[in-house]
Amino acid sequence: MNALKQTANRLFSISQNNYLNPHTALVWPETLERSQWFMAPELISLNGSPVYEELSEKQKKELSFWEAVNFFSLNIHGEKALVEGLAQRLYRRELADVAEYLHSFLDEENKHMVYFGGFCQRYAGKIYRDRKLKIEREYAYGEEEFLFFAKTMIFEELADYYNLRMGNNSEIELTARRINLIHHLEEARHLAFGREIVRYLFNKFAAHWTGEVLQNVRHYLLSYLEATWKEYYNPDVYRDAGLDEVFDLVDQAWHSSASKKHRQQASFRCVDFFVKEGILEKNLVV
Amino acid sequence: MKTQEDMKKELHAWIVKNNAKIKAEELCNDTDIIRERIINSLQIIDLLLFVERLSGTSVEVEQLKPGAFKNIDTIYQNFLERQGDEQCNK
Ligand SMILES: [Fe+2]
Ligand SMILES: [Fe+2]
Repeated sequence: MNALKQTANRLFSISQNNYLNPHTALVWPETLERSQWFMAPELISLNGSPVYEELSEKQKKELSFWEAVNFFSLNIHGEKALVEGLAQRLYRRELADVAEYLHSFLDEENKHMVYFGGFCQRYAGKIYRDRKLKIEREYAYGEEEFLFFAKTMIFEELADYYNLRMGNNSEIELTARRINLIHHLEEARHLAFGREIVRYLFNKFAAHWTGEVLQNVRHYLLSYLEATWKEYYNPDVYRDAGLDEVFDLVDQAWHSSASKKHRQQASFRCVDFFVKEGILEKNLVV
Repeated sequence: MKTQEDMKKELHAWIVKNNAKIKAEELCNDTDIIRERIINSLQIIDLLLFVERLSGTSVEVEQLKPGAFKNIDTIYQNFLERQGDEQCNK
C-alpha cells in the first residue's frame, strides 16, 4: 500500500497544480474546415487495407474526421464506465488511503468527456453508439476490483498511444490536436496510478485465487484487449465517410497485416507490463 | 432472400464458430447462451455486429430489452423477424 499511497499523493499534488477549467481550456471554432487531417493518416483504421489506397486525399481526410469522432466517442464510453466505477470506490475502506487522488481522477475523466463530447456534438452532431453490453456475473475474491483497474489500464494505454502521436502533430487540425494533447497530459498521471494500483491489487488478491480463476482472469484480459481494439474498427464510421460494404471493410481492416502490426505495437506497453508483473503469462497479443 | 430458417442457421453457425465450449449438435435455438456462458459480455460486441450485418439495420444497445440476446430465438425475434417476414412475403 505504501508505494501506491506515495504515488497517489504525488499525483494528487500534480493534479492540484495543473487544475484545468474544461470550459476555457479549449477554443471551439464555429465550424471546422474538413479538408484537414483529424486523425493521423497512419492511425486511420483502414490504412493498410486495399480500399484506403483507392481513396482520394479528400476522401481520406473526410474519413479521418469520422475516425476522430469514433476515437473521441469510444473514449467517452470508456470514461463513462470509469467515472461510474471510480464513484463506487470513493471512500471504500480498502482504498481510503487514495481517496483524495480518486477525486482528481474522477474529476479529470469528467472533464475529458466535456472535450470529447464537445467536439463530437458540435462538429458531427452525434456520438457513436456503444456496442458494449453488461452481463452480471459472480466474481472470485478481489477479482472484480482487480479487473476494474486492469481494464481501465488497457483502455487508457491504447487511447494514449493515439493521443501521444497526435497531441503535438502539426498535421492534425488544431482543435482535435489540442484535445489529444490535453488528454495525454492528464492521462500520464492516470497511467502511473494505474500501474501502481493494478500491481497492488494483483499482489493482494491473486494469492487467494485458484489456478482456474487465474486462468479465467488472464483469458478475460486478453479478450478485453481484443474487444477494446474492435471498437477502433467501426462500420458506422465507414458508412459516414461514404463507403460501401462497411462490414466487409471492418473484416478487411481487422485482418490486414498492417493493422495487426499496429495493434501489437500499440498494445506493447500494457501487455509488457502485465507480463512483467506475472499478470499475463507471455506476450500473446491480438 | 433469407428465410427465418436461414437466419437462425447463420446465427447458430456463428455461435458455434466463435466459442470452443459448445458443439453444433448441443446448441439449440432455445439454449440460453448468456446463462450457460457460451457467449460472454465481450463476445456480445461481435455478435451484435454480426446481427447488424444480417439485419442490415443498426442496433441501439441502450434501448435493448433485457433478454434480447438470451438465445437464437430471441435474437431472431428482437432483431431479424421483421426483416425475415418482409423478405418471406416478397
Ligand atoms: Fe480520459
Ligand atoms: Fe484517464
